[in-house]
Amino acid sequence: MVLNTLKRLTSGPKPVLLLFFLLLTSLYMMSAATQNSAVFGRLYSLLLAINILALVLLLALIGRHLISLITRYRRRAAGSRLTVRLVIMFVILAVTPISVLYYFSLQFLHRGIDSWFDLRVEQALEDALELGRTSLDSRLRELLRQSRLQVESLAHETDATARLKIHDMRERSEAVELTLLGLNGRVITSSTIDPSTVIPTLPNTAILQQLRRGLDYAALEPIRDRGLHMRIVMLVPNPDPLGEPRLLHALYAVPERLNTLANSVQSAFTQYKELAFLRKPLKYSFTLTLSLVLLLSLLTAVWAAFFSARRLVAPISDLAEGTRAVAAGDYDMRLPLPGRDELGFLVRSFNEMTRKIARARDEARESQQQAEEQRGYLEAVLACLSSGVLTLDEEATLHTVNSAAEQILGLELGPSPELSLTELQSRYPVLEPLVETIAAQLDHKHGAWQAEVVLFGPNGRQVLICRGSPLRGEGKSHGEHVIVFDDVTALIQAQRDAAWGEVARRLAHEIKNPLTPIQLSAERLRHKYLNTMPSEDAEVLDRSTHTIVQQVESMKEMVKAFSDYARPPKLQLEHVDLGKLLNEVLDLYHGDERISIRLHASHSLPHIDADMGRLRQLLHNLVKNTLEAGETAHPLTLDVSIHCAEKDRCRFVEMRFEDNGPGFPEPLLGQLFEPYITSKPKGTGLGLAIVKKIVEEHGGILWAENRESGGACITLRLPVQSKVAARTDEAYYDDDSHSANGKP
Amino acid sequence: MGFITHVLKKATARPERDDPACPSCRQFLFLFGLLLALPLHAADFFITGIHTRLQDNVYLLDAHVDYRFSDEALTALDNGVPLTFQLTIEIERKRKWWLDAEVANLQQRYRLQFHPLSHQYLVQNLNSGAFYAYQSLSAALDAMGTLHDFPLLDVQLIEKGEKYEVLLHAELDIESLPSPLRPLAYITPAWRLNSDWYTWSLTP
Repeated sequence: MVLNTLKRLTSGPKPVLLLFFLLLTSLYMMSAATQNSAVFGRLYSLLLAINILALVLLLALIGRHLISLITRYRRRAAGSRLTVRLVIMFVILAVTPISVLYYFSLQFLHRGIDSWFDLRVEQALEDALELGRTSLDSRLRELLRQSRLQVESLAHETDATARLKIHDMRERSEAVELTLLGLNGRVITSSTIDPSTVIPTLPNTAILQQLRRGLDYAALEPIRDRGLHMRIVMLVPNPDPLGEPRLLHALYAVPERLNTLANSVQSAFTQYKELAFLRKPLKYSFTLTLSLVLLLSLLTAVWAAFFSARRLVAPISDLAEGTRAVAAGDYDMRLPLPGRDELGFLVRSFNEMTRKIARARDEARESQQQAEEQRGYLEAVLACLSSGVLTLDEEATLHTVNSAAEQILGLELGPSPELSLTELQSRYPVLEPLVETIAAQLDHKHGAWQAEVVLFGPNGRQVLICRGSPLRGEGKSHGEHVIVFDDVTALIQAQRDAAWGEVARRLAHEIKNPLTPIQLSAERLRHKYLNTMPSEDAEVLDRSTHTIVQQVESMKEMVKAFSDYARPPKLQLEHVDLGKLLNEVLDLYHGDERISIRLHASHSLPHIDADMGRLRQLLHNLVKNTLEAGETAHPLTLDVSIHCAEKDRCRFVEMRFEDNGPGFPEPLLGQLFEPYITSKPKGTGLGLAIVKKIVEEHGGILWAENRESGGACITLRLPVQSKVAARTDEAYYDDDSHSANGKP
Repeated sequence: MGFITHVLKKATARPERDDPACPSCRQFLFLFGLLLALPLHAADFFITGIHTRLQDNVYLLDAHVDYRFSDEALTALDNGVPLTFQLTIEIERKRKWWLDAEVANLQQRYRLQFHPLSHQYLVQNLNSGAFYAYQSLSAALDAMGTLHDFPLLDVQLIEKGEKYEVLLHAELDIESLPSPLRPLAYITPAWRLNSDWYTWSLTP
């Protein structure tokens, strides 16, 4: 937070300008201080330190920028090369004029300072000073002589009498002060021209020491606030031989005019001398100030170069980054607007472009999503269809195959097989009739078509109703073809079964009724006329009536069989242990010499809901069928296996009846379970039809096939849970039985 | 008359001292030496005869500062550059577990200047304004360095049972030099004239 605020405050043109202004002010003050300005003179060191600090700060800032630039350059960051080029250009532009200016300024400066000094001026000043000094010396000598006279007159005076004498002497001489004092500096008496002066101006200890050594003192002295004075201190003998010597201290003012002139000369000389002494430091000082100005200007220019280059390159770098992002597929990038200039216009256009691209992308994505959803929806619909659906493109390549089509045709292709019709035929030869039909229809190209195709596959004979139509779409779907087909085998079979049931029911009904009167009539004829007829006729009658009665009995059994087929009893559902039931039924045939039965039952068999009586009939029919069909086989063996299996999430119990008999005749394989289809010499043709009926009543399926090793195999599957199917069938059979049982 | 001549001769007899450092070296030092750490050098001023005594409930101090000038300083003085000296006197109360407490801080400032017309060395006490002229530099320095009966502090400021120490330090005030001379003075040992810190246990 603080760092960000600091960064915000230190970035931008305003802080730079402010800093530059402060530096200029500081440099001006330093320059003024160099020229001995009273105001800035005191601040000189501080200003110097501030400027050096600013220099270091600028150096650090530039160093930071430089390191950052080098790092970016090495990293090949966007805009770094342009920044380097701009910085170098700016620096060269700034350094060249500044350096030239610096060089000439330095030359002028040094020459200018040197020109201040002139030997003749110096000599003149020294001469003037000497002149003043000589003039004052002559005056001093005169005063010294006068003082000696005063000392001589005081030599005979005691301290007490000297008081009056001193005052008198002072008034007669031009002395400002006249003091008689002891060697230790104790004032004996003093007289001063200024009555307000209480304490006389005494000689300092150095003068006293000199006098103690017996040396008189006479010198020109500047006295604070009072100008130049001449001080004369001389030893005064004491009239008392035991008394210590005394001192006469006289202070004479230099005449006003002389004082002014001497001071003026002294001041000018001192200043000149000082300036001459400071010539080199002054040069250094000016050089330092100028160098600081140069360095600060130069570094500020370099900093400004970095700053300007960065400002100038920033939008270009942004554009480069933005272009890179767009190339990488990121269309949501928006660049900051640098201003209202051409670069700003460029950036605005770029932002507009990315916004439009992003919108177009979103729309495309949305459309794609919708298409995907539509496709998913269609796939779901196709998957739920019970009809098989195939689509072919204009080159007769299989595009779409729904799951119903795979199930009906026994294919395993997946949703997008990309398989041509020829390849399909070569992979699945069974589909030859279908492929031929489709190819023929495609060649004709005349709109919608419908055809019935019969296939012979491992599941037996299949009848398909195919309907095809070209797709009338634009673009990709143009020239495509859709084929919808239904497996109507079961439907045809059901229709056939229903027709047979109806025939059987009517036949039984129509035939059963006259049979009893025929039989009774034949028996009455036999009973009435057998004994009354001659033996030859009686034998004929006996044989004929016997035949009639037998055939009627036979017809009755046949009618009963028909009736059983057409009018099955109502299902009595209960939990049935199929293994146990199978054991019970097969046990009955254990004693039978014609057949050897082997049971292979798996252990944990589930109970199923079934009618035990009907199942028992089913099992008997199957065993009987084997017995009747396999009369020629010796020994005849029947392998019965039963186990529970699960396929396509459907749990069922599977039973297989395999014998070593002659097997089913190939032409009959497709119609085995239809009534009156039999290859057996004694069969009614209803055994397997009834078996099929019972299996279907229980919601199961069955099929027959010939074993490769010889013999027949019948497989039937009964679902473990099939109450719904059973109930539906119950309803159907209720109606059926009702009409079958209906009295005429 | 003879001593006047003597005095004049003494003043003029001092030879001009050449700058020992070459100009380019000086310039280099001048421009870039400011950034460098200031070099250490031995003391030029010495303080002797420190003594305190209590008189009329005021502590008085006697001391003598022996000012010894470098050639550069002497040349500058002879060329009319006034030199300012500062004598710092600090009185501290000793503390065992913490920094010593400053009880008083006194500063005596003197300005020494050569008067070419009179060949006198002028000494001015900048605190009191007292102004003296001396015929020789040694006399001027002797007078400037002598501290006699200098009142330190009132006895009431002293707590009984505590230990006090007087610290003295004399130095040339570079900041009072003419501004062109200052940068050079800061980086040249010849201009950095000062004494060590002298301590004296304050006893009644």
